[in-house]
Amino acid sequence: MSDILKIEPIYNWLKKNNWAIYNHQIETLKLSENGYDVLLVAPTGGGKTLAGFLPSLNDLINNKPKKNKLHTLYISPLKALTIDVHRNLTSPIEDQGLNIRVETRTGDTSAYKKNRQKVLPPHMLMTTPESLALLLSNKESKDYFKDLKYLVIDEIHTLVNTKRGDLLSLNLSRINSISPDCKKIGLSATVKNKNTVLKFLTSKKKAKTLNVEETSVPKIDILETINRVPWSGHMASYAIRDIYQKIKKSSLTIVFVNTRAQAELVFNKLWQENENNLRIAIHHGSLEKEIRRKVESLMSSGKIDCVVATSSLDLGIDWGDVDLVVQIGSPKGISRFLQRIGRSNHRFDEPSNALLVPSNRFEYLECLSAINSIKNKLLDETKEKQGSLDVLAQHILGVACSEPFQVDELYNQVINAWPYRNLTKIKFFEVLEFVKNGGYSLKHYEQYSKIGVNKNKFYAIKNKSVRNRYRLNVGTIVESYMLKVKLGNRTLGQVEEWFIEGLNEGDTFLFSGRVLEYQSISNNNVIVRSTSHTQPKIPSYAGGRLPLSTELSIEVRKLLSKKQFWKNFPNQINEWLKLQSQFSNLPSLNGLLVETFPRLMRGKKRFFLICYTFEGRNANQTLGFLMSKKMQRIGYKPISFVATDYALAIWSINEVIDVNIILNDDLMLDDLYEWLEETPLLKKNFRDAAIISGLIERSVPGQKKTGKQVLFNSDLIFNVLKKHEPKHLLLEVAREDSYRGLIDLDRLSDFLKRIEKNITHEKLDRISPLAVPLILEINRQTIDKSEMEEYLLEELENETLSEVGLS
Amino acid sequence: MKTIIFNKHKFQISNEGILFWFDKQIAIISDLHLEKGSSYGHSGQFLPPYDSEETLKKLSEGIKNHNIKKVILLGDTFHDKNAFNRMSEKAFFLLKSLIKKYEVIFILGNHEDKLKIDNINFLNEYVIDDIHFIHQALQKSIFQISGHFHPVATIKSSIKKITLKCLLHTNNHIILPSFGTYTGGLNINDQALKPFVNHQSYIYMLAKKSIYKFTSKEVEI
Repeated sequence: MSDILKIEPIYNWLKKNNWAIYNHQIETLKLSENGYDVLLVAPTGGGKTLAGFLPSLNDLINNKPKKNKLHTLYISPLKALTIDVHRNLTSPIEDQGLNIRVETRTGDTSAYKKNRQKVLPPHMLMTTPESLALLLSNKESKDYFKDLKYLVIDEIHTLVNTKRGDLLSLNLSRINSISPDCKKIGLSATVKNKNTVLKFLTSKKKAKTLNVEETSVPKIDILETINRVPWSGHMASYAIRDIYQKIKKSSLTIVFVNTRAQAELVFNKLWQENENNLRIAIHHGSLEKEIRRKVESLMSSGKIDCVVATSSLDLGIDWGDVDLVVQIGSPKGISRFLQRIGRSNHRFDEPSNALLVPSNRFEYLECLSAINSIKNKLLDETKEKQGSLDVLAQHILGVACSEPFQVDELYNQVINAWPYRNLTKIKFFEVLEFVKNGGYSLKHYEQYSKIGVNKNKFYAIKNKSVRNRYRLNVGTIVESYMLKVKLGNRTLGQVEEWFIEGLNEGDTFLFSGRVLEYQSISNNNVIVRSTSHTQPKIPSYAGGRLPLSTELSIEVRKLLSKKQFWKNFPNQINEWLKLQSQFSNLPSLNGLLVETFPRLMRGKKRFFLICYTFEGRNANQTLGFLMSKKMQRIGYKPISFVATDYALAIWSINEVIDVNIILNDDLMLDDLYEWLEETPLLKKNFRDAAIISGLIERSVPGQKKTGKQVLFNSDLIFNVLKKHEPKHLLLEVAREDSYRGLIDLDRLSDFLKRIEKNITHEKLDRISPLAVPLILEINRQTIDKSEMEEYLLEELENETLSEVGLS
Repeated sequence: MKTIIFNKHKFQISNEGILFWFDKQIAIISDLHLEKGSSYGHSGQFLPPYDSEETLKKLSEGIKNHNIKKVILLGDTFHDKNAFNRMSEKAFFLLKSLIKKYEVIFILGNHEDKLKIDNINFLNEYVIDDIHFIHQALQKSIFQISGHFHPVATIKSSIKKITLKCLLHTNNHIILPSFGTYTGGLNINDQALKPFVNHQSYIYMLAKKSIYKFTSKEVEI
């Protein structure tokens, strides 16, 4: 306690508010005073942010800071978080009358304020990775950051192993070379690979991780319902009434869902149920900023009873006294779930309160697994990723914009950034050539090079316009082109262009919690009007579901494979699994269960092959493509397949006799490359890489391209480049991102190794109980949407169930 | 190939967007926009500089087995006034051999306003029988074959919308799609194309393997 006394005003302020001082706050201060860079890993709540700022506040209060020099830089992945932290810091500073200026700087900051911040920097500046990149590309940046003493990075774990993180780490390394004595403090939620996060934060030897254990175990239940848990689907409509009852009993509830479409639907259904006129709001990333801010402020002032939200409310912002968190559908990952649970009772010495609502049967198992994992303190692991070269290209240009650089010096600075530690000099030069003039073997653009070598062998930008253009293209997030949704003069939010393209005049859809009727597009605005329809014609407008994490997948297989775990399951689940074990077999922990059976499909006999992999939708999708190709070659005549998080179902004209010929190591070698080159995913990743690296510009001063134009051009370029320079830097980036991303190649290859010689093939004469959700999913996906009335689905479901004897 | 009867003359359109008039041994192509890619170079956007080569290769491949004597380029062959000078050796060679092999007629396009190339003569109009070859369609009752607009059309299937380059045939007009590798498109529902799209229009959508013929009613307008 003695140390903190030195920061008397802070101590007084904490005391006045009756707030405790935590040990880890003092520890952080001590370590930092002794010259350490610190990574503070702690669960949500518990004064993590204050801990991060204590060393800096201490220095500002006790040592007279230099006038008009930036002293502390705070970086957070969310704009909203910078604003929140700004508010939280301002309160003790104002209360104690301290002479410390704190300001935010994000994409939303006015040009006037930005200019003033340049001339007259505040002591503390709160910003985002993108705004930092922009600040560092200024000509005066060296002078601006020269006296920087402290650097605080919040929610740092969300940035590691992402392209945004690559950009930030390059800039951290740059700051490090400008002001080598600046002390860094990283704030992270509990993660598995702490060491990577520390390395990401700092390359110094004098660095330590402070780990704060969770003191209370969160209280998590699965919703008990007298209703039947559905066989398939994702909307959890069956549970809305029960959820509403829980909301009624709590003072402030957040209902988390996984997609924006789910958010709209659940919100709509809750209001239909809302007999008590509870104040229920909605919050997701597509809504207009003002609407979101309004909901947030209603939350913190307690003027609201429930918010239906997506990941837009995930991160560490303190939104008032939430006492219940409901998660609809599986959280798909343990860390994400913990983060969400942490929203309730946002003080870390009190247990959090959470309710899980599975939207189908497999999800029930998944939810149980998530609870077990949290009890056993298991955590997800993020796959490590090497720094992306498109981001490096953007960074090199940024450095050149701020000042002429020397190649070796920049190379050393780059490999000092953790994600780029393995970058060879050859690759570095390749990227440099790309930035200069496209890096084509045909030296076509030399006369136009963006950067050139000056007399002193320093690289410098050719003219000012290069800097101006760079500034418009900073960042690693490439979003689909968004259109504003206008209801009269009000802007409700934004939707993707592709969604609107699929609409016809008069179509109705859910947005911002209302049913809207689409009228027209004018000046990049979507003009809508209110309608009295209660059922929207177009149910959803966004995908973006995350695949099941590897750790959760192991837990689910564990649950299934051991019968002694089942006794706590509700009856309906228990019966389902029992019947499966009698009729066929159960998936084992390390092997693979494959079922084959004949079944009529639209009046024709088809042979179904089901692989219960539990490897997530992306890996299953890839597996489906590869297996279909192979089956085709062997002559089984596959027709199509459906992949879920849990399993893959392929149906064919001929019966598969030996699955071992299909499912082996060769599977990955045979068709993978050829298939990948043709996927739309590769084209999409190429577009992103082309934009991040600056090959295609987001926008040119004075003219804004529409999203469609960008896409059109990048596809044309993609085809030409593939033909003429198949090994071009950007194609390599796109391939790597595809392998890593949606295709989930590593996971698939691990899977194939694991199941080798461990495949159980059950040849059945009809569909098994475990296959029911899959067959229903096939119906959902293959029936023309316009015919897909609810009753039809129900009929199909009943038919399938009676086939198995489960009705 | 699909046949189009135009004022009693028989034309054929290929998947790549080449219009053949076999009776006269003529191939008609529009809007090559050579060196469009490199035109962004001066502003620091370094698109792969292979588009001219691609375009010219596709052109010579497309006509070589059809006993063609004359090639009519309907304008905007070059993307800008410096395009010719920026061409790579390979692209230049391809263009030279095209001119050597065929009688090539260059119609003047709006992109070629200030372009001067030795031994190439740009015409405002070229006439064979009663057919006028021009760059941009005129609202006159003469029979015209033109380019300029880069028409594309969108058709909605049960699953998704597909947008493809298309040839537009309305009464006395044939408007060709753009041929250049980096050229984009203008949807036929755009205001600029209104005078040439009506209930008597036919739209030939050019897919990789086949050509689909629609009336303007069937296409999303």
